[in-house]
Amino acid sequence: MSSFLPNHLFTTSGSLVDLLDKRLLVILRDGRKILGFLRSYDQYERIYVKDVYGDIQRGVFVIRGENVVLLGEIDNIKDDEQPLQQLPYDQVLRMQQEEAEARQQKEKVKNQLLHNQGFSVDFLETDLY
Amino acid sequence: MADTVTAPITSVEEPLDLVRLCLDEHIYVKLRGDREVRGRLHAFDQHLNLVLGDVEETITTVELDPETKEESVHTTNRKMDMLFVRGDGVILGLIPSILYTAPLPKKLDNHAINLFRPPRERYETPILFDLSKD
Amino acid sequence: MLFYSFFKTLVGQTVTVELKNDLSVVGTLVSVDQFLNIKLDNIKVEHEDQHPHMMSVKNCFIRGSVVRYVHLPPAAIDTALLQDAARRESQQSTATAKA
Repeated sequence: MSSFLPNHLFTTSGSLVDLLDKRLLVILRDGRKILGFLRSYDQYERIYVKDVYGDIQRGVFVIRGENVVLLGEIDNIKDDEQPLQQLPYDQVLRMQQEEAEARQQKEKVKNQLLHNQGFSVDFLETDLY
Repeated sequence: MADTVTAPITSVEEPLDLVRLCLDEHIYVKLRGDREVRGRLHAFDQHLNLVLGDVEETITTVELDPETKEESVHTTNRKMDMLFVRGDGVILGLIPSILYTAPLPKKLDNHAINLFRPPRERYETPILFDLSKD
Repeated sequence: MLFYSFFKTLVGQTVTVELKNDLSVVGTLVSVDQFLNIKLDNIKVEHEDQHPHMMSVKNCFIRGSVVRYVHLPPAAIDTALLQDAARRESQQSTATAKA
């Protein structure tokens, strides 16, 4: 029973120390993926659509904590092996837009049907995160 | 530890006391994202974070038939041995039928029971207590 | 604090964290904090083809608020102990609220 007692000290920030200066993938609540070094000047935004991606060079980002979904440390070896195809970012942006519109349309139909079945549909997509 | 607890274990004074009575019972929980889970309640806290055992999850989805362009509602089921459910997704929980059939705890308010009572046909177990005539 | 303590007892176990955006990450539980933020090591993403950006990630930090489920290994959990702890914690918080 003692293992369930709250007798530990804890910190959140401490647990991120070992990610400092590592190359990270940050997933945000709106679905954006940001790649960069934690605390460096070398960050850019990457947009993925299915198996292609495009990079937009960005400067320094300060990200508010509540928008973070996930921080992932990039393995450079695995990164070299990934089979994705890079395209100019404006092209990928267009593809992303089309995908988003199709999804929104589907969502609308879905909400209408499920609402009739008594499901709660009173939230935005980003509320789900 | 025991002397810090003033209320007897069966008293129901606030909603979470009802949840406590569901520990080790098979419960139904409705979640956001068109999901429902059924399972044995092993743990909960004030956020309605839960740990459930022998879980069955039902997800309701809408699929579009590419031929007829008609949308239809589908459900898919998943079984999981042990599951932690984050409380912010919980919409409601149904109390197992045993809580209606078992002798009423002393302080349990009949009104509260009536409010939580699901339609009779939902349960195979007959409801022994007719709470409507008090 | 119940679930914080509970997850601490599961450090080292393999768990599957299912996020609210349907991303499922399998990995070894490294650490957890009081917000139930979770760190996983040696991760593998289910349905990787739908989440290509996760391909080169080896370990990750997941914000607690985006978690939907955590699938747990039943062998690692003493359910009687857990129910006991939950009962005790809920009565304690009731007692504190009255005081």
